[in-house]
Amino acid sequence: MALPAAPVPEERGALLSMSGITKRFPGVVALRDVSLSLARGEVLALVGENGAGKSTLMKILAGAEQPDQGEILVEGRAVALDGVGAARRLGIALIHQELMLAPNLDVTANIFLGNEPRHGRRGGLLAPLARARLDARAEALLGRVGLRVAPTTPVARLTPGQMQLVEIAKALSLDARVIVMDEPTSSLTAAESEHLLSIIRALRDGGVGVIYISHRLGEVLALSDRVMVLRDGKNVGERTRAEARVDEIVAIMVGRPLDAAYFRAARVDAPGPPILAVEDLVVAGADARVSFTARRGEILGFAGLVGSGRTELMETIFGARPALGGRMLLAGEPYRPRGVRDAIARGVYLAPEDRKTHGLVLPMSVAENTSLPGVGGYGRLGWLDRRTERRVAEAEVARLKIKTPSIRQRVVNLSGGNQQKVVLGKWLAMSPRVLILDEPTRGVDVGAKAEIYRHVEALSGRGITILMVSSDMEEVVGMSDRVVVMRERRVQAVLSRADVTPERIAALMTGSAQPPPCA
Amino acid sequence: MRLRRELGMTVALCVMALALWWSNPDFLGRSNVVNTLRQISMLGIFAIGIGFVIIAGGIDLSIGSLIGLTGVLVAKISSTGPGGLGHSLWTGIPLAVATVTMVGLAQGLLVTRLGLQPFIVTLGGMLLVRGVSQTVVQGGTLSLGGSPLLRLANGGVLVWRGEPLVPYPLLVLVAVIAASVYVLHFSVFGRYVFAIGGNREAARYSGIPVRTVETLTYVVSAGLAGVAGVCYAAYIGQMSQQVGIAYEMYAIAAAVLGGCSLRGGEGTVFGIVIGSAIMRIIDNGINMFEWRYEDEGGVPRIWRLDPNWTFMIIGAVILVAVILDQIAHDLEDRRRVRRAAAVAAGEARRESAGP
Repeated sequence: MALPAAPVPEERGALLSMSGITKRFPGVVALRDVSLSLARGEVLALVGENGAGKSTLMKILAGAEQPDQGEILVEGRAVALDGVGAARRLGIALIHQELMLAPNLDVTANIFLGNEPRHGRRGGLLAPLARARLDARAEALLGRVGLRVAPTTPVARLTPGQMQLVEIAKALSLDARVIVMDEPTSSLTAAESEHLLSIIRALRDGGVGVIYISHRLGEVLALSDRVMVLRDGKNVGERTRAEARVDEIVAIMVGRPLDAAYFRAARVDAPGPPILAVEDLVVAGADARVSFTARRGEILGFAGLVGSGRTELMETIFGARPALGGRMLLAGEPYRPRGVRDAIARGVYLAPEDRKTHGLVLPMSVAENTSLPGVGGYGRLGWLDRRTERRVAEAEVARLKIKTPSIRQRVVNLSGGNQQKVVLGKWLAMSPRVLILDEPTRGVDVGAKAEIYRHVEALSGRGITILMVSSDMEEVVGMSDRVVVMRERRVQAVLSRADVTPERIAALMTGSAQPPPCA
Repeated sequence: MRLRRELGMTVALCVMALALWWSNPDFLGRSNVVNTLRQISMLGIFAIGIGFVIIAGGIDLSIGSLIGLTGVLVAKISSTGPGGLGHSLWTGIPLAVATVTMVGLAQGLLVTRLGLQPFIVTLGGMLLVRGVSQTVVQGGTLSLGGSPLLRLANGGVLVWRGEPLVPYPLLVLVAVIAASVYVLHFSVFGRYVFAIGGNREAARYSGIPVRTVETLTYVVSAGLAGVAGVCYAAYIGQMSQQVGIAYEMYAIAAAVLGGCSLRGGEGTVFGIVIGSAIMRIIDNGINMFEWRYEDEGGVPRIWRLDPNWTFMIIGAVILVAVILDQIAHDLEDRRRVRRAAAVAAGEARRESAGP
C-alpha cells in the first residue's frame, strides 16, 4: 500500500544517529554529550571498561531510560523513545546481557511476546492466540538463526547460547532495523560464539544495523566495521576496521595515566609465608582447575572480565558454593569449608561484590550490621549483648572514619563508600586471617576510594592476606602485590608487581595475548 | 513434563475415589455424588479466579470475605424477610457481583499503581470487607427463605426419580472452566499473565501492558468470588457474617495442589479443578471412609476416621504434594546440570585437541 519511498540520498545513509546524549543519575554523570551513528548494514562495536556508560547508552536507545539531553534520529527523523514500546515500534531491539526471556514459556511464546499477531480487526487482549500460525512462523525464524529446536520447547531447557538465538529470533520477528547486543558471547562456548557471529554477519548483509557491545577485542575486530570507545561516559575515540589495532584500542579504553600517589608505594618488606594455598580447585560451572597461593600480608589482585569466574571462585573459597574437587590449605592446615560458617570460623571473610544484597542488611543500623557475624559470641546463653555491640561498632566507625550521624543510623541511608566501610568494619571486628574483597570500590566516589585503599593497605601491613577482585584496572595495578588474571574461568597468568601493566592485563583477560609459558 | 503435577494429582484423585468406594459403596451413591459435585463446583469457581492472580505472581486473600459479602448483599437487597429490602433477584445479584468486582478492581489498582504488596492490600481488603458484611447483617443473619434463589444450589438438570443428577453449580463451573481455559490458555491475555508471572522484567521489556493485565487478574478473581458467593448464598440460605471465612485458604490450597506455583508463571485451569476436587473429596472422604472388621469375639465392627482430623489430613496432603514435587524438580535440575557439564567438557576437549 505504501507509496514508493523517496530515493535515499546515499545507499548507506545514517539509519540511526544519537547526538549530545547526557544522562545523570544521583551523584554521577553516566553519559556526557555522547554521540553515535549507525548506517544500514553496518556493525558498530561499542567498547569500554565496566562503568564506561555503554549499557546506559543502550538502555536509552531501547527506551528503557530517558536521556536528560540529546537528540535521537531514526532515518533522519527526530524520535522520542519514551518507552520500550516506542523503541520497538521503530524497529529497535535490545538484547540484554541478562537475557530477557520468560523461562516458563516456550520458544514461540517468547519470540512473539508482546507482539502476538492477532485475529480480528483491532485485536484486544481477549483475542485468540493463533498458535499454529505462530509456531510455523517461529519455525521459520529459528531456521534463519540456525537454531534446531522445536518451537514448543520450554525456554528453561535451552542453553545460554540457544537462548541468545531465541532473543535474536525475537528481534527478527519485530522486523528490527537496529539490533543492539550487549555482551552476547560472554556466556557462550567457543562453538556457539562462532555460530552467533556468522548469524550477525548474515543480518548485516541483510541491511540490519547492529550495535555490538563486547569486551572480547579479538571478536570485535573480526566482526565490526567500526569501533567506538567510551570511557567515563564520554566518546574518546573511533576507528574503522582498517585502522583499528587491539593494543591501541586497549590504550584508549584504559586511558588516563595512573596517579601513583593515590595508591600504595611498592612494597619493601619481603613476602611472608604462604597462608592460603589453592590447589586444583574445581569451581561449580567451570571446566578447569584453579591454583594459586596467597602469602601473609599480601594483596593478591584478581583481574578479569565480568563472567570470567572470579566471583564464583571467591564464593567457593568462602564456602558459599561447594568445591567439586581439588584442595585448599590455610596456614598449612587442610581447609575444606562446607559452608560460610566454616570459613568464618577459620578467619576467612568475604566482602561481596553486591553489598546491598549479600553484604548488608539495609534496614538495620550501622551497629547491628557491624555486629551481625559476631553478636552470637558477645553474650552468654543467647543474651543479645547490646553494650558490647555498641562498643565494637563505635570502635570500627572510628577506625574506618565512617561518616554516619550515629551508630544507630540505618545503613540504607549511608553513601556507597560508607556502606562499603561498614562491610569492612563488620569483618575487621572479627580479626580476619584472609579477607576477600570483591569489587571493593564499585559505586564509591573518589574520596572514599582513597580511604578504602589506605585501610586495605593498613590491613595488609597487619599481616592480613587480602584477595581483591576488581574490574577497575587502575585499582588492580595500583594496589596489588601480584595479579592473577582470569579468563573464561581459568587462571591465565599470575603477574608480579614488576610485570604488571594495564595493557598487559587487558590483553591477557580479553584473550588477545597468549599467557606466558611459565604461568 | 509440563503437566507432571496435574497428571500426578489426577492419578491420586482416582486412587482416592476408588479406595473410598471400596471402603464404603455409598461414596458413589447418588446423593453423595451430587452433593460432592456441588461442593467441588463451588470451590472450583473461585479457585480458578485466584489461579489468575497466582499465575501472574500475586496473591489474593480477600476472596473469602468477598464470597461472604456477595451473599450478604444479595440477601439484604432481595430478601423479603425481616431486614431485607425486597427487590428482585435480578437487581440483587448483578448489584452484589458488581460491587465485589469493584473491590477487586480497587485492590488491583492499589497493587499495580501504588506498587503495594498484594499480600498486604488483600489482607486489608479481607478484614475491611468482612467488617462491611458484619455491619450489613448487624451481627445476626439475613434469611433468603422462600426465595427462588434457593433452587439454584439445590436444583439441577437431568431430573431422575425426583432429584437432579447435575446440580446447577456444576453447570456454572463448566461455563467458568470453558471461559477461563480460553482466556488463560488460548488468548493473548493468558499469555501475558504467564509471562508476567515467569519474568516480570522480560514482560515489561517486551512492551506488555503489565499493570493493566495484573490489575485485571484481581478483577477476575473478585468477579469469580462473586459468582461463587451467589451459589453459596443459594446453598446456605441464612446469610451471616461467618460465610466464606478462610475460603481463600482452600482456594490457594486447591491451586497449589493442582500445580500452581506461588512464585508465579505456572498452573493450569485443569490442575486447579483437580486440586479443588481433591480438597473436597478429602473433606467428604473423612466422613465416608469406613473399615469393617471383626474383633476377637467375632463381632463385626466399623472403624471410622475422626472428623477432628480433617485439617491435619488436608495439611499433610498439601505438604506431601509439594515435597514430592520439589524432589522431582531437583532431580530434573540435577540431571540437566550434569548433561550441560558433559557437553561443556566435551567441547573443551575438542577445543584443546583442535589446531
